Amino acid sequence: MHQKAIFIFVGLIVLIVIGGMLFFATSQTRAAPIQPIAFNHEVMVQAGIPCLYCHSDATNSPSAGMPSVQKCMGCHQVIATTNPEIQKLAAYWQRGEPIPWVRVNVLPRFVYFSHEVHVVVTQLACERCHGDVGHMTVDQPVVTMNMGWCLSCHEQQSNANQLTECVTCHQ
Amino acid sequence: MAHEITRRDFLKLGVAGAAIAVLAGCENPRRWVVLEPYVKPPEEQLAGQATWYASTCRQCPAGCGILVRIMNGRALKIEGNPEHPLNRGKLCARGQASLQVLYNPDRLSGPAQRSARGSRQFKAVTWNEGLNTVLTRLQAAGQRVAIWSGSTTSGHLSDLFQRFTSAIGAPAPIVFDLYTAYHGYHLMQSTNQRVFGQPHLPAYDLQQVDLILSFGADFLSTWLSSTRYGVEFGQFRKQPLGKRGYLVQLEPRMSITGAKSDRWIPLRPGSEGSIAQAIARLIADRAYGSPDRVGRARALAGNVDVNAVAQAAEVSVADLEQLARLFGTTDRVVAIPGSSLTGQANAEAAVAAVEALNVIAGVSRPSMEQAASATSHFVHSPVSSFADVQSLIARMKAGEVQALLVYGANPAYDLPPEAGFLDALSHVPFVVSFAPMVDETTAWADVILPDHTPFEAWGYDVVEPLFDSLAISSQQPVVTPYYDTRATGDVLLTIAHGLPAAAAALPWSDEVEFLKEQVAQLSGGSIEGSTADVKWARFLQHGGWWTQTTSTSASTAGNLQPIALTPAQFEGDQQAYPFYLHVSMNDLLSDGRGANQPWLQGSPDVMTTIAWQTWVEMNPLTAQKIGVQDGDVVRVASPHGAIEAPVYVYPAIRPDTVAIPLGQGHTDYGRYARNRGSNVMQLVGAQTDSSGQYLTWSRLRVSVTPTGQKVAQAKFESTVGVTEGFINQAFPGQ
Repeated sequence: MHQKAIFIFVGLIVLIVIGGMLFFATSQTRAAPIQPIAFNHEVMVQAGIPCLYCHSDATNSPSAGMPSVQKCMGCHQVIATTNPEIQKLAAYWQRGEPIPWVRVNVLPRFVYFSHEVHVVVTQLACERCHGDVGHMTVDQPVVTMNMGWCLSCHEQQSNANQLTECVTCHQ
Repeated sequence: MAHEITRRDFLKLGVAGAAIAVLAGCENPRRWVVLEPYVKPPEEQLAGQATWYASTCRQCPAGCGILVRIMNGRALKIEGNPEHPLNRGKLCARGQASLQVLYNPDRLSGPAQRSARGSRQFKAVTWNEGLNTVLTRLQAAGQRVAIWSGSTTSGHLSDLFQRFTSAIGAPAPIVFDLYTAYHGYHLMQSTNQRVFGQPHLPAYDLQQVDLILSFGADFLSTWLSSTRYGVEFGQFRKQPLGKRGYLVQLEPRMSITGAKSDRWIPLRPGSEGSIAQAIARLIADRAYGSPDRVGRARALAGNVDVNAVAQAAEVSVADLEQLARLFGTTDRVVAIPGSSLTGQANAEAAVAAVEALNVIAGVSRPSMEQAASATSHFVHSPVSSFADVQSLIARMKAGEVQALLVYGANPAYDLPPEAGFLDALSHVPFVVSFAPMVDETTAWADVILPDHTPFEAWGYDVVEPLFDSLAISSQQPVVTPYYDTRATGDVLLTIAHGLPAAAAALPWSDEVEFLKEQVAQLSGGSIEGSTADVKWARFLQHGGWWTQTTSTSASTAGNLQPIALTPAQFEGDQQAYPFYLHVSMNDLLSDGRGANQPWLQGSPDVMTTIAWQTWVEMNPLTAQKIGVQDGDVVRVASPHGAIEAPVYVYPAIRPDTVAIPLGQGHTDYGRYARNRGSNVMQLVGAQTDSSGQYLTWSRLRVSVTPTGQKVAQAKFESTVGVTEGFINQAFPGQ
């Protein structure tokens, strides 16, 4: 009887530890990652640059795409060249290296998602899923992109039957 | 227990552990996904959408069409090209793994020059320095230049090599590697010419036959064009109206094809040709089949004592009778001479004896004469015989070669040591290699001008063997070159411009100009284009140009006399060397060129499930007699050399035969290949067959002695107790 109590106690501690680790692991991955360049979305949006100027594949591809270093340098040859973050950009350009951006919004590989459908067909605004990026500096993962979140919107559509089919996203 | 952990201690440890775990959890998490956008994007490239480029596989000489999936400028996956007439969308394991040729971490990053020959110490040089060195040496060498290339060399490069040597007055390039020597390409070609009047590799039509008599041809593994034969075999087995073809495989050691056969006959090594003759004799004597067939059999069979043949081959006369009856009376049949026939002392006669069965059966083969005129300007360089190789080695030894250029071949590994290649190399003052990696031959080079890998390079391949269509398969760069490598075609043109003798013969500014000119001359066939540019674009888009066969050429008995077959002779005294040696080639490492690709090293061999190793296959009876088990290292010695390798007890091999696969035992060729297993070619001598033309690699007797050592075998089958060994082998250094 005494031994049994010990086992239950130890079991509880193990559960708490594992639970704590899982909690930290999931909450930590929702923090904004450290990016190679502290890119400021707010400044860009205030300058009147639309999202699609840089993420230009969102209207015709499943992936919105990241701008090439060449595209960044298209403006930053002359704009804000003294800013230390822009100088980091220029250094990448001069070395001919891609910028190793860290992905902020991660969907698992078994999920099929198309930007093109959401942006062109359903005419959703980028902020609907990505949060108010126009008021962020470094992009923050403000939305937990899990299955419940996808379904919360899919369920409300007129063709909900079709949109809540497993194979719509798990092709 | 001496030291017991109290409950209190246990709880303390638990709390401490929990604290450490929580602190570890607080560490800044590392994201696993890094996005690397282009620095300069190609036009019309969409993020998240793959582009597929058609090209040609270069892992073996067959020339299958491939499609390569490209994401963000990186090659990710290779599939067969469904439009391609040879492989029809299929691809073998070697084709799939060829991405690792591109991504191999031991590739040369630029041109290099040796410090001392054979020291493996190279220093990087610029392309200008490298090219100037080669140019100066070639200017001095005059016509005493030799080119040695391999069978997977792009057709345009073979063409340029030929133009180059003939312009400077040097002998034609040698095309020789172990793959083509093992499968007897040269002999198969010359026999096809003799019997069917066709100057190319024979294609055995399996999809429209009911019976295959395969004399050791492992056509489902590596033989000639295994992916195509895999497609045909599927059709052979699933014919209309539920008909199913019947395959008889005659070989001393069961191959993959043997495992798929309906009847496997383990005949004595070297008796294949005489068995074919006995079958012909029985068709003639017993009048099996149509009068035509019996008539041809009577003309060709020769004087053979069936009982003596059966006894010598250890095949029962009843089996021979059954084979003869099946072959004579079945409508659509084919007999295939396999690789081991081409490595015997009586190679020519043995192959001809099997082809005689096709003549008797009245088999016809597709003829390409009409179509061939449209592509006559596409060079397909024929494979050289071993006699050509020997004469080059003799010239090298005599100091008649001042500069040797090696492209796509690795003779220092491929040839038996007795051929004396390395000795001859020491008499050549200047050796240039174009290999993308340092292999055994490149280690002795003075200058290395690394070529691109096939995924970064242009080219074409005239597909051979010819099945139902004549095809020129296109090869194009699917990614930008990763390193400072340069196309050998361009290098050759640059050098030629500096040599007065060659400048006029090679006027093109680069290899693409030359290729475009070639493609523009194509007419008819699968691609039509109003202009040369359109034609060129379609040639690349579809993966090549092809045309259907228009006619067939039947064999004629007049081309073949009754074959005088001398008995196969084996080297080595039966007392001192009690076992026959069967050198096998598996469909992963093939002749050793796959050894630098970890996917191929790590894939288990189909018949034994062994990976990352060389092994000696041995019948359980033999293993019991010698007193060895799986994993016991034995020393296998022939009159020419000795190697050590662990035993694999294999029931599907004759007790008087041991089999060893090719492919391992590299001393160079990158981290995945180096110092792993043994090279069975060390056991082979440099003797030729009775015609003096071919390397006889399947005429050896060997002795097998246990060394007392035991190693863990990396295998999936019966892995009880050796699993750790497999993991260690698969991931060295962990």
